[in-house]
Amino acid sequence: MATTTTTNETETAGIKQPSGLSPFLAKEDWWAVWLGLGIIILAYIFYLSGSSISWIAVAPAKWSTLSQLGTQLSTTAVRYLALLGAFLVLFTIVTSFIGQKPKAFIPSFIFVFTLSTIIYILGNWDQASRYNLEPPLVALVLGLIISNVIGLPRWLDAGFRVELYIKLGIVLLGATLPFTLIIWAGPVAILQASIVSVVTFLTIFFVARKLGLDHRLAAVLGAGGAVCGVSASIAVAGAVRAKKEDPPIAISLVVFWAIIFIFALPLVSRTLHLPTGVGGAWIGTSEFADAAGLAAAQSYGGLAGKNLGISGTADQALASYTLIKVIGRDVWIGIWSFVLALIAVTVWERSETNAKVPVGQIWWRFPKFVIGFLVASILTTVIVHGNTLADYNKLVKPALIAPITSLRTWAFTFSFLSIGLTTRFRELANAGSKPFVAFTAGVIVNVILGYILSVVVFGHYWAGVVTH
Amino acid sequence: MKIFDSIQLGHSGPTCQQCVHFQNDPAVIEDVYRGLTAMSSGFASVRDRDGLCQYHQIYLSARDSCPRFAARKDDRVGGYND
Repeated sequence: MATTTTTNETETAGIKQPSGLSPFLAKEDWWAVWLGLGIIILAYIFYLSGSSISWIAVAPAKWSTLSQLGTQLSTTAVRYLALLGAFLVLFTIVTSFIGQKPKAFIPSFIFVFTLSTIIYILGNWDQASRYNLEPPLVALVLGLIISNVIGLPRWLDAGFRVELYIKLGIVLLGATLPFTLIIWAGPVAILQASIVSVVTFLTIFFVARKLGLDHRLAAVLGAGGAVCGVSASIAVAGAVRAKKEDPPIAISLVVFWAIIFIFALPLVSRTLHLPTGVGGAWIGTSEFADAAGLAAAQSYGGLAGKNLGISGTADQALASYTLIKVIGRDVWIGIWSFVLALIAVTVWERSETNAKVPVGQIWWRFPKFVIGFLVASILTTVIVHGNTLADYNKLVKPALIAPITSLRTWAFTFSFLSIGLTTRFRELANAGSKPFVAFTAGVIVNVILGYILSVVVFGHYWAGVVTH
Repeated sequence: MKIFDSIQLGHSGPTCQQCVHFQNDPAVIEDVYRGLTAMSSGFASVRDRDGLCQYHQIYLSARDSCPRFAARKDDRVGGYND
Protein backbone atom coordinates (compact mmCIF):
# COMPACT_ATOMS: atom_id res chain seq x y z
CA MET A 1 0.00 0.00 0.00
CA ALA A 2 2.77 2.37 0.89
CA THR A 3 4.27 1.97 -2.55
CA THR A 4 0.96 2.72 -4.25
CA THR A 5 0.53 5.88 -2.23
CA THR A 6 4.01 7.00 -3.08
CA THR A 7 3.40 6.39 -6.75
CA ASN A 8 0.34 8.59 -6.77
CA GLU A 9 2.12 11.33 -4.87
CA THR A 10 5.11 11.22 -7.13
CA GLU A 11 3.05 11.53 -10.27
CA THR A 12 1.52 14.68 -8.84
CA ALA A 13 4.81 16.00 -7.62
CA GLY A 14 6.42 15.36 -10.97
CA ILE A 15 4.12 17.88 -12.62
CA LYS A 16 5.16 20.57 -10.18
CA GLN A 17 8.81 20.03 -10.94
CA PRO A 18 9.98 22.67 -13.39
CA SER A 19 11.44 20.63 -16.22
CA GLY A 20 14.61 21.82 -17.88
CA LEU A 21 15.64 24.04 -14.98
CA SER A 22 19.36 24.65 -15.17
CA PRO A 23 21.38 22.56 -12.71
CA PHE A 24 22.99 25.83 -11.65
CA LEU A 25 19.62 26.81 -10.18
CA ALA A 26 18.25 23.41 -9.22
CA LYS A 27 20.91 22.03 -6.90
CA GLU A 28 21.63 23.23 -3.39
CA ASP A 29 25.35 22.85 -4.07
CA TRP A 30 25.32 25.52 -6.74
CA TRP A 31 23.14 27.81 -4.67
CA ALA A 32 25.64 27.53 -1.83
CA VAL A 33 28.32 28.62 -4.30
CA TRP A 34 26.31 31.61 -5.58
CA LEU A 35 25.29 32.75 -2.10
CA GLY A 36 28.71 32.22 -0.53
CA LEU A 37 30.71 33.89 -3.27
CA GLY A 38 28.11 36.65 -3.53
CA ILE A 39 28.52 37.42 0.17
CA ILE A 40 32.31 37.42 -0.11
CA ILE A 41 32.28 39.71 -3.15
CA LEU A 42 29.82 42.05 -1.44
CA ALA A 43 32.00 42.09 1.66
CA TYR A 44 35.01 42.95 -0.49
CA ILE A 45 33.16 45.78 -2.28
CA PHE A 46 32.23 47.29 1.09
CA TYR A 47 35.81 46.84 2.27
CA LEU A 48 37.21 48.59 -0.81
CA SER A 49 34.86 51.51 -0.23
CA GLY A 50 36.23 51.89 3.28
CA SER A 51 33.20 50.31 4.90
CA SER A 52 32.23 46.80 6.01
CA ILE A 53 29.30 44.42 6.11
CA SER A 54 29.95 44.00 9.82
CA TRP A 55 26.83 46.01 10.73
CA ILE A 56 24.54 43.35 9.32
CA ALA A 57 26.84 40.41 10.10
CA VAL A 58 26.01 40.85 13.75
CA ALA A 59 27.33 38.43 16.36
CA PRO A 60 26.68 38.44 20.09
CA ALA A 61 29.50 39.72 22.27
CA LYS A 62 30.64 38.00 25.45
CA TRP A 63 28.37 38.64 28.41
CA SER A 64 28.34 37.64 32.04
CA THR A 65 25.14 39.07 33.54
CA LEU A 66 21.59 39.33 32.27
CA SER A 67 21.68 43.09 32.53
CA GLN A 68 24.76 43.15 30.32
CA LEU A 69 22.97 40.96 27.85
CA GLY A 70 19.90 43.18 27.95
CA THR A 71 21.96 46.27 27.24
CA GLN A 72 23.72 44.50 24.40
CA LEU A 73 20.48 43.31 22.79
CA SER A 74 18.76 46.67 23.12
CA THR A 75 21.50 48.26 21.02
CA THR A 76 21.78 45.46 18.46
CA ALA A 77 18.20 44.28 18.06
CA VAL A 78 17.69 46.14 14.81
CA ARG A 79 20.82 44.52 13.38
CA TYR A 80 19.51 41.06 14.23
CA LEU A 81 16.25 41.93 12.50
CA ALA A 82 18.14 43.17 9.45
CA LEU A 83 20.17 39.97 9.36
CA LEU A 84 17.01 37.89 9.62
CA GLY A 85 15.51 39.90 6.77
CA ALA A 86 18.58 39.40 4.59
CA PHE A 87 18.74 35.65 5.23
CA LEU A 88 14.99 35.37 4.65
CA VAL A 89 15.18 37.07 1.27
CA LEU A 90 18.17 35.04 0.10
CA PHE A 91 17.00 31.64 1.34
CA THR A 92 13.41 32.17 0.21
CA ILE A 93 14.66 32.82 -3.32
CA VAL A 94 16.83 29.70 -3.19
CA THR A 95 14.19 27.38 -1.77
CA SER A 96 11.60 28.73 -4.21
CA PHE A 97 13.86 27.72 -7.08
CA ILE A 98 14.20 24.19 -5.70
CA GLY A 99 10.44 23.91 -5.41
CA GLN A 100 9.49 24.85 -1.86
CA LYS A 101 6.66 27.19 -1.02
CA PRO A 102 7.64 30.51 0.62
CA LYS A 103 4.59 30.38 2.88
CA ALA A 104 6.05 27.22 4.47
CA PHE A 105 9.69 28.28 4.36
CA ILE A 106 9.35 31.76 5.85
CA PRO A 107 7.77 30.86 9.22
CA SER A 108 10.02 27.84 9.45
CA PHE A 109 13.16 29.86 8.90
CA ILE A 110 12.06 32.51 11.40
CA PHE A 111 11.75 29.66 13.89
CA VAL A 112 15.26 28.41 13.01
CA PHE A 113 16.75 31.91 13.19
CA THR A 114 15.13 32.66 16.55
CA LEU A 115 16.41 29.47 18.14
CA SER A 116 19.84 29.94 16.55
CA THR A 117 20.05 33.45 17.99
CA ILE A 118 19.32 32.12 21.46
CA ILE A 119 21.93 29.37 21.02
CA TYR A 120 24.53 31.82 19.66
CA ILE A 121 23.91 34.19 22.57
CA LEU A 122 24.04 31.35 25.09
CA GLY A 123 27.38 30.24 23.65
CA ASN A 124 28.79 33.69 24.42
CA TRP A 125 27.89 33.54 28.09
CA ASP A 126 31.20 33.60 29.96
CA GLN A 127 30.14 30.52 31.96
CA ALA A 128 29.03 28.52 28.91
CA SER A 129 32.10 26.27 28.75
CA ARG A 130 31.79 25.56 32.47
CA TYR A 131 28.44 23.93 31.78
CA ASN A 132 29.54 22.38 28.45
CA LEU A 133 27.16 24.63 26.53
CA GLU A 134 29.07 24.53 23.25
CA PRO A 135 26.68 26.05 20.68
CA PRO A 136 26.85 23.18 18.14
CA LEU A 137 25.97 20.62 20.79
CA VAL A 138 23.28 22.81 22.31
CA ALA A 139 21.77 23.32 18.83
CA LEU A 140 21.79 19.60 18.14
CA VAL A 141 20.34 18.56 21.50
CA LEU A 142 17.69 21.26 21.40
CA GLY A 143 16.67 20.21 17.89
CA LEU A 144 16.55 16.54 18.87
CA ILE A 145 14.37 17.28 21.89
CA ILE A 146 11.97 19.44 19.89
CA SER A 147 11.59 16.94 17.06
CA ASN A 148 11.50 13.74 19.13
CA VAL A 149 9.82 14.79 22.36
CA ILE A 150 7.67 17.79 21.53
CA GLY A 151 7.12 17.19 17.82
CA LEU A 152 6.59 19.69 15.03
CA PRO A 153 4.19 19.80 12.07
CA ARG A 154 5.75 18.30 8.95
CA TRP A 155 5.35 21.47 6.88
CA LEU A 156 7.89 23.21 9.12
CA ASP A 157 10.59 20.98 7.60
CA ALA A 158 10.70 23.47 4.72
CA GLY A 159 13.20 25.59 6.63
CA PHE A 160 15.32 22.78 8.06
CA ARG A 161 17.73 22.62 5.08
CA VAL A 162 20.78 21.04 6.77
CA GLU A 163 22.74 20.67 3.55
CA LEU A 164 22.08 24.11 2.13
CA TYR A 165 23.20 25.80 5.34
CA ILE A 166 26.26 23.62 5.86
CA LYS A 167 27.42 24.03 2.25
CA LEU A 168 26.99 27.79 2.45
CA GLY A 169 28.99 27.73 5.69
CA ILE A 170 31.76 25.68 4.06
CA VAL A 171 32.01 28.11 1.12
CA LEU A 172 32.30 30.98 3.61
CA LEU A 173 34.84 28.93 5.56
CA GLY A 174 36.94 28.84 2.39
CA ALA A 175 37.30 32.61 2.70
CA THR A 176 39.11 32.17 6.00
CA LEU A 177 41.53 29.51 4.77
CA PRO A 178 44.63 30.60 2.84
CA PHE A 179 44.83 28.80 -0.48
CA THR A 180 48.45 28.06 0.32
CA LEU A 181 47.20 25.98 3.26
CA ILE A 182 45.02 23.92 0.93
CA ILE A 183 47.99 23.38 -1.37
CA TRP A 184 50.25 22.55 1.59
CA ALA A 185 47.90 20.27 3.49
CA GLY A 186 45.72 18.98 0.67
CA PRO A 187 47.98 16.08 -0.37
CA VAL A 188 48.32 14.88 3.24
CA ALA A 189 44.56 15.19 3.68
CA ILE A 190 43.96 13.15 0.54
CA LEU A 191 46.51 10.50 1.54
CA GLN A 192 45.19 10.14 5.09
CA ALA A 193 41.53 10.17 4.07
CA SER A 194 42.10 7.74 1.21
CA ILE A 195 43.80 5.17 3.44
CA VAL A 196 40.98 5.32 5.97
CA SER A 197 38.23 5.40 3.34
CA VAL A 198 39.49 2.36 1.46
CA VAL A 199 40.14 0.30 4.60
CA THR A 200 36.77 1.26 6.11
CA PHE A 201 34.89 0.51 2.90
CA LEU A 202 36.52 -2.88 2.51
CA THR A 203 35.85 -3.74 6.15
CA ILE A 204 32.15 -2.94 5.92
CA PHE A 205 31.79 -4.51 2.48
CA PHE A 206 33.43 -7.81 3.31
CA VAL A 207 31.82 -8.15 6.75
CA ALA A 208 28.47 -7.47 5.10
CA ARG A 209 29.15 -10.07 2.42
CA LYS A 210 30.31 -12.56 5.04
CA LEU A 211 27.01 -12.05 6.82
CA GLY A 212 25.18 -12.80 3.60
CA LEU A 213 24.11 -9.30 2.59
CA ASP A 214 23.65 -8.39 -1.05
CA HIS A 215 26.58 -6.81 -2.95
CA ARG A 216 24.68 -3.60 -3.52
CA LEU A 217 23.57 -3.13 0.07
CA ALA A 218 27.13 -3.90 1.18
CA ALA A 219 28.43 -1.19 -1.16
CA VAL A 220 25.82 1.34 -0.03
CA LEU A 221 26.72 0.69 3.61
CA GLY A 222 30.45 0.80 2.86
CA ALA A 223 30.23 4.13 1.08
CA GLY A 224 28.21 5.61 3.93
CA GLY A 225 30.84 4.64 6.46
CA ALA A 226 33.87 5.39 4.33
CA VAL A 227 33.22 8.45 2.19
CA CYS A 228 30.66 11.04 3.21
CA GLY A 229 27.83 9.45 5.10
CA VAL A 230 24.27 9.64 3.84
CA SER A 231 25.30 11.55 0.71
CA ALA A 232 27.73 8.81 -0.29
CA SER A 233 25.21 6.08 0.43
CA ILE A 234 22.54 7.68 -1.72
CA ALA A 235 25.03 8.43 -4.51
CA VAL A 236 26.37 4.87 -4.60
CA ALA A 237 22.85 3.46 -4.32
CA GLY A 238 21.96 5.22 -7.56
CA ALA A 239 25.20 4.20 -9.23
CA VAL A 240 24.91 0.48 -8.42
CA ARG A 241 21.10 0.33 -8.79
CA ALA A 242 20.39 -0.63 -5.23
CA LYS A 243 17.10 -2.04 -4.07
CA LYS A 244 14.59 0.59 -3.03
CA GLU A 245 14.86 -0.45 0.61
CA ASP A 246 18.70 -0.29 0.78
CA PRO A 247 19.28 3.48 1.21
CA PRO A 248 17.06 3.82 4.33
CA ILE A 249 19.14 1.13 6.06
CA ALA A 250 22.32 3.09 5.40
CA ILE A 251 20.63 6.36 6.38
CA SER A 252 19.61 4.93 9.76
CA LEU A 253 23.07 3.60 10.53
CA VAL A 254 24.91 6.72 9.43
CA VAL A 255 22.60 9.01 11.40
CA PHE A 256 22.85 6.77 14.48
CA TRP A 257 26.65 6.68 14.54
CA ALA A 258 27.12 10.25 13.35
CA ILE A 259 25.08 11.61 16.24
CA ILE A 260 27.00 9.48 18.75
CA PHE A 261 30.29 10.75 17.28
CA ILE A 262 29.23 14.39 17.42
CA PHE A 263 29.42 14.02 21.18
CA ALA A 264 32.00 11.25 21.55
CA LEU A 265 34.86 12.51 19.33
CA PRO A 266 35.13 15.96 20.97
CA LEU A 267 34.81 14.33 24.39
CA VAL A 268 37.63 11.85 23.77
CA SER A 269 39.75 14.53 22.09
CA ARG A 270 39.23 16.73 25.14
CA THR A 271 40.18 13.92 27.50
CA LEU A 272 43.37 13.32 25.51
CA HIS A 273 44.08 17.08 25.29
CA LEU A 274 44.58 16.90 21.54
CA PRO A 275 45.53 20.19 19.88
CA THR A 276 42.53 21.61 18.02
CA GLY A 277 44.08 21.01 14.59
CA VAL A 278 44.71 17.37 15.45
CA GLY A 279 41.26 16.87 16.95
CA GLY A 280 39.71 18.43 13.84
CA ALA A 281 41.69 16.08 11.60
CA TRP A 282 40.54 13.04 13.57
CA ILE A 283 36.94 14.19 13.43
CA GLY A 284 37.31 14.84 9.69
CA THR A 285 38.63 11.33 9.21
CA SER A 286 36.16 9.46 11.39
CA GLU A 287 32.86 11.38 11.29
CA PHE A 288 30.49 10.59 8.46
CA ALA A 289 28.34 13.49 7.30
CA ASP A 290 29.72 17.00 6.69
CA ALA A 291 27.26 18.75 8.98
CA ALA A 292 27.69 16.26 11.81
CA GLY A 293 31.47 16.50 11.61
CA LEU A 294 31.45 20.27 11.53
CA ALA A 295 29.28 20.30 14.65
CA ALA A 296 31.86 18.12 16.39
CA ALA A 297 34.86 20.08 15.03
CA GLN A 298 33.41 23.48 15.90
CA SER A 299 32.45 22.21 19.31
CA TYR A 300 35.97 20.96 19.97
CA GLY A 301 37.61 24.08 18.53
CA GLY A 302 35.48 26.16 20.86
CA LEU A 303 37.27 24.59 23.83
CA ALA A 304 40.61 26.14 22.87
CA GLY A 305 41.94 28.84 25.14
CA LYS A 306 39.66 27.96 28.05
CA ASN A 307 42.28 26.60 30.40
CA LEU A 308 41.42 23.01 29.56
CA GLY A 309 44.89 22.15 28.36
CA ILE A 310 43.83 22.23 24.70
CA SER A 311 46.25 24.10 22.47
CA GLY A 312 45.50 25.72 19.14
CA THR A 313 42.65 27.89 17.93
CA ALA A 314 39.00 27.27 17.09
CA ASP A 315 39.69 27.90 13.41
CA GLN A 316 42.43 25.27 13.32
CA ALA A 317 39.91 22.58 14.23
CA LEU A 318 37.61 23.72 11.43
CA ALA A 319 40.47 24.04 8.94
CA SER A 320 41.94 20.58 9.46
CA TYR A 321 38.47 19.04 9.63
CA THR A 322 37.45 20.64 6.35
CA LEU A 323 40.66 19.74 4.58
CA ILE A 324 40.31 16.07 5.50
CA LYS A 325 36.56 15.81 5.04
CA VAL A 326 35.99 17.98 1.98
CA ILE A 327 39.28 17.70 0.09
CA GLY A 328 40.23 14.24 1.34
CA ARG A 329 36.86 12.49 1.19
CA ASP A 330 33.90 14.35 -0.31
CA VAL A 331 35.41 15.20 -3.69
CA TRP A 332 36.01 11.54 -4.51
CA ILE A 333 32.37 10.45 -4.36
CA GLY A 334 32.08 10.55 -8.17
CA ILE A 335 35.07 8.22 -8.52
CA TRP A 336 33.68 5.84 -5.89
CA SER A 337 30.31 5.80 -7.63
CA PHE A 338 31.83 5.20 -11.06
CA VAL A 339 34.12 2.38 -9.91
CA LEU A 340 31.39 0.66 -7.92
CA ALA A 341 28.94 1.01 -10.80
CA LEU A 342 31.49 -0.63 -13.11
CA ILE A 343 32.04 -3.46 -10.66
CA ALA A 344 28.28 -3.85 -10.29
CA VAL A 345 27.67 -4.43 -13.98
CA THR A 346 30.79 -6.45 -14.71
CA VAL A 347 31.42 -8.54 -11.59
CA TRP A 348 28.27 -8.73 -9.48
CA GLU A 349 25.06 -10.19 -10.75
CA ARG A 350 23.52 -8.09 -13.50
CA SER A 351 20.44 -6.14 -12.49
CA GLU A 352 17.18 -5.84 -14.38
CA THR A 353 18.52 -2.87 -16.29
CA ASN A 354 20.95 -3.19 -19.17
CA ALA A 355 22.47 0.26 -19.31
CA LYS A 356 26.19 0.93 -19.34
CA VAL A 357 28.06 3.02 -16.83
CA PRO A 358 28.41 6.66 -17.88
CA VAL A 359 31.84 8.05 -17.13
CA GLY A 360 30.23 11.48 -16.81
CA GLN A 361 28.94 10.65 -13.35
CA ILE A 362 32.36 11.49 -11.95
CA TRP A 363 31.42 15.11 -12.64
CA TRP A 364 27.64 14.82 -12.27
CA ARG A 365 28.01 13.57 -8.71
CA PHE A 366 30.86 15.92 -7.82
CA PRO A 367 29.85 17.99 -4.77
CA LYS A 368 29.88 21.37 -6.50
CA PHE A 369 30.00 23.43 -3.31
CA VAL A 370 33.67 22.44 -3.12
CA ILE A 371 34.25 24.70 -6.13
CA GLY A 372 32.86 27.60 -4.12
CA PHE A 373 35.04 26.65 -1.16
CA LEU A 374 38.19 26.70 -3.32
CA VAL A 375 37.27 29.91 -5.19
CA ALA A 376 36.50 31.63 -1.87
CA SER A 377 39.91 30.61 -0.57
CA ILE A 378 41.67 31.87 -3.69
CA LEU A 379 39.74 35.16 -3.62
CA THR A 380 40.60 36.06 -0.05
CA THR A 381 44.17 34.84 -0.41
CA VAL A 382 44.61 37.26 -3.32
CA ILE A 383 42.87 40.05 -1.39
CA VAL A 384 44.94 39.51 1.74
CA HIS A 385 48.21 39.10 -0.19
CA GLY A 386 50.38 42.18 0.07
CA ASN A 387 49.11 43.30 3.47
CA THR A 388 51.53 43.37 6.34
CA LEU A 389 50.53 41.38 9.41
CA ALA A 390 49.81 44.65 11.21
CA ASP A 391 47.56 45.88 8.39
CA TYR A 392 45.85 42.56 8.23
CA ASN A 393 45.04 42.52 11.94
CA LYS A 394 44.07 46.20 12.02
CA LEU A 395 42.17 46.56 8.75
CA VAL A 396 41.46 43.39 6.82
CA LYS A 397 40.46 41.08 9.64
CA PRO A 398 37.84 43.26 11.37
CA ALA A 399 36.37 44.74 8.19
CA LEU A 400 36.44 41.72 5.88
CA ILE A 401 37.25 38.38 7.51
CA ALA A 402 35.41 38.80 10.85
CA PRO A 403 31.97 39.52 9.31
CA ILE A 404 32.35 36.57 6.92
CA THR A 405 33.29 34.40 9.90
CA SER A 406 30.21 35.63 11.74
CA LEU A 407 27.91 34.76 8.82
CA ARG A 408 29.62 31.37 8.59
CA THR A 409 28.84 30.72 12.25
CA TRP A 410 25.20 31.62 11.65
CA ALA A 411 24.99 29.22 8.69
CA PHE A 412 26.59 26.42 10.71
CA THR A 413 24.24 27.02 13.64
CA PHE A 414 21.20 26.85 11.32
CA SER A 415 22.57 23.54 10.06
CA PHE A 416 23.34 21.99 13.46
CA LEU A 417 19.92 22.93 14.74
CA SER A 418 18.32 21.53 11.58
CA ILE A 419 20.12 18.19 12.07
CA GLY A 420 18.31 17.83 15.37
CA LEU A 421 15.03 19.08 14.01
CA THR A 422 15.04 16.62 11.09
CA THR A 423 16.33 13.58 12.99
CA ARG A 424 13.19 11.78 14.09
CA PHE A 425 14.37 8.48 15.48
CA ARG A 426 11.00 6.78 15.19
CA GLU A 427 10.96 7.50 11.43
CA LEU A 428 14.33 5.90 10.75
CA ALA A 429 14.17 2.45 9.17
CA ASN A 430 15.01 -0.56 11.25
CA ALA A 431 18.44 -1.41 9.87
CA GLY A 432 18.50 -5.00 11.06
CA SER A 433 21.27 -6.76 12.95
CA LYS A 434 23.47 -7.81 10.02
CA PRO A 435 23.81 -4.33 8.48
CA PHE A 436 24.36 -2.95 11.98
CA VAL A 437 27.19 -5.41 12.67
CA ALA A 438 28.84 -4.77 9.30
CA PHE A 439 28.61 -1.00 9.59
CA THR A 440 29.78 -0.99 13.20
CA ALA A 441 32.83 -3.08 12.27
CA GLY A 442 33.75 -0.33 9.81
CA VAL A 443 33.10 2.35 12.40
CA ILE A 444 35.52 0.70 14.84
CA VAL A 445 38.25 0.31 12.22
CA ASN A 446 37.65 3.86 11.00
CA VAL A 447 37.91 5.50 14.40
CA ILE A 448 41.06 3.60 15.43
CA LEU A 449 42.85 4.07 12.12
CA GLY A 450 41.69 7.67 12.00
CA TYR A 451 43.20 8.28 15.43
CA ILE A 452 46.52 6.66 14.52
CA LEU A 453 46.88 8.68 11.32
CA SER A 454 45.60 11.99 12.73
CA VAL A 455 47.49 11.89 16.02
CA VAL A 456 50.48 9.57 15.71
CA VAL A 457 51.48 9.72 12.05
CA PHE A 458 50.42 13.21 10.91
CA GLY A 459 49.77 14.87 14.29
CA HIS A 460 52.61 17.38 13.95
CA TYR A 461 51.22 18.34 10.57
CA TRP A 462 47.68 19.03 11.74
CA ALA A 463 48.81 20.85 14.88
CA GLY A 464 50.57 23.37 12.65
CA VAL A 465 47.65 24.32 10.41
CA VAL A 466 47.57 28.09 9.89
CA THR A 467 44.41 30.06 9.13
CA HIS A 468 43.78 33.72 8.18
CA MET B 1 37.87 -6.17 -22.21
CA LYS B 2 34.47 -6.53 -20.61
CA ILE B 3 35.07 -3.65 -18.25
CA PHE B 4 35.71 -1.19 -21.09
CA ASP B 5 32.63 -2.42 -22.95
CA SER B 6 30.60 -1.41 -19.91
CA ILE B 7 31.74 2.22 -19.92
CA GLN B 8 29.41 4.62 -21.66
CA LEU B 9 30.99 7.76 -23.06
CA GLY B 10 28.03 9.22 -24.93
CA HIS B 11 24.32 8.71 -24.76
CA SER B 12 21.67 7.32 -27.10
CA GLY B 13 18.18 5.92 -26.86
CA PRO B 14 15.44 6.36 -24.30
CA THR B 15 16.41 6.44 -20.65
CA CYS B 16 14.63 6.07 -17.36
CA GLN B 17 14.30 9.86 -17.27
CA GLN B 18 11.52 9.62 -19.86
CA CYS B 19 9.98 6.44 -18.44
CA VAL B 20 6.57 6.38 -16.82
CA HIS B 21 7.86 4.07 -14.08
CA PHE B 22 10.61 6.46 -13.02
CA GLN B 23 10.32 9.17 -10.38
CA ASN B 24 13.15 11.41 -9.23
CA ASP B 25 11.51 14.54 -7.92
CA PRO B 26 13.89 15.52 -5.07
CA ALA B 27 11.01 16.45 -2.78
CA VAL B 28 9.45 13.04 -3.31
CA ILE B 29 12.75 11.26 -2.72
CA GLU B 30 13.10 13.18 0.55
CA ASP B 31 9.59 12.12 1.48
CA VAL B 32 10.12 8.46 0.62
CA TYR B 33 13.52 8.29 2.26
CA ARG B 34 12.76 9.77 5.66
CA GLY B 35 15.98 10.73 7.40
CA LEU B 36 17.72 11.70 4.17
CA THR B 37 17.42 15.40 5.00
CA ALA B 38 18.98 14.98 8.45
CA MET B 39 22.46 14.68 6.97
CA SER B 40 22.03 15.04 3.23
CA SER B 41 19.49 16.33 0.75
CA GLY B 42 17.35 15.37 -2.19
CA PHE B 43 18.72 18.46 -3.92
CA ALA B 44 22.41 17.57 -3.50
CA SER B 45 24.69 17.27 -6.52
CA VAL B 46 25.87 13.83 -5.40
CA ARG B 47 22.36 12.52 -6.03
CA ASP B 48 22.56 13.68 -9.64
CA ARG B 49 19.24 12.73 -11.28
CA ASP B 50 18.77 9.38 -9.56
CA GLY B 51 15.32 8.18 -8.69
CA LEU B 52 13.05 5.27 -8.01
CA CYS B 53 11.89 2.75 -10.58
CA GLN B 54 8.42 1.73 -9.49
CA TYR B 55 8.47 -1.25 -11.82
CA HIS B 56 11.68 -2.89 -10.62
CA GLN B 57 11.58 -1.33 -7.14
CA ILE B 58 15.16 -0.14 -7.39
CA TYR B 59 16.91 3.20 -6.94
CA LEU B 60 18.94 4.07 -10.01
CA SER B 61 20.23 6.74 -12.35
CA ALA B 62 17.89 8.61 -14.68
CA ARG B 63 20.40 7.79 -17.42
CA ASP B 64 19.80 4.06 -17.15
CA SER B 65 17.45 2.13 -19.41
CA CYS B 66 15.79 -1.27 -19.57
CA PRO B 67 13.51 -3.36 -21.79
CA ARG B 68 10.50 -2.34 -19.68
CA PHE B 69 10.80 1.25 -20.79
CA ALA B 70 7.42 2.93 -21.27
CA ALA B 71 7.46 6.51 -22.47
CA ARG B 72 5.62 9.15 -20.50
CA LYS B 73 2.59 10.59 -22.26
CA ASP B 74 3.75 14.13 -21.63
CA ASP B 75 7.13 15.75 -21.29
CA ARG B 76 7.26 15.62 -17.53
CA VAL B 77 10.72 15.01 -16.21
CA GLY B 78 11.65 15.02 -12.62
CA GLY B 79 15.33 15.79 -12.70
CA TYR B 80 18.12 17.76 -14.17
CA ASN B 81 21.19 17.16 -16.19
CA ASP B 82 23.91 18.29 -13.87
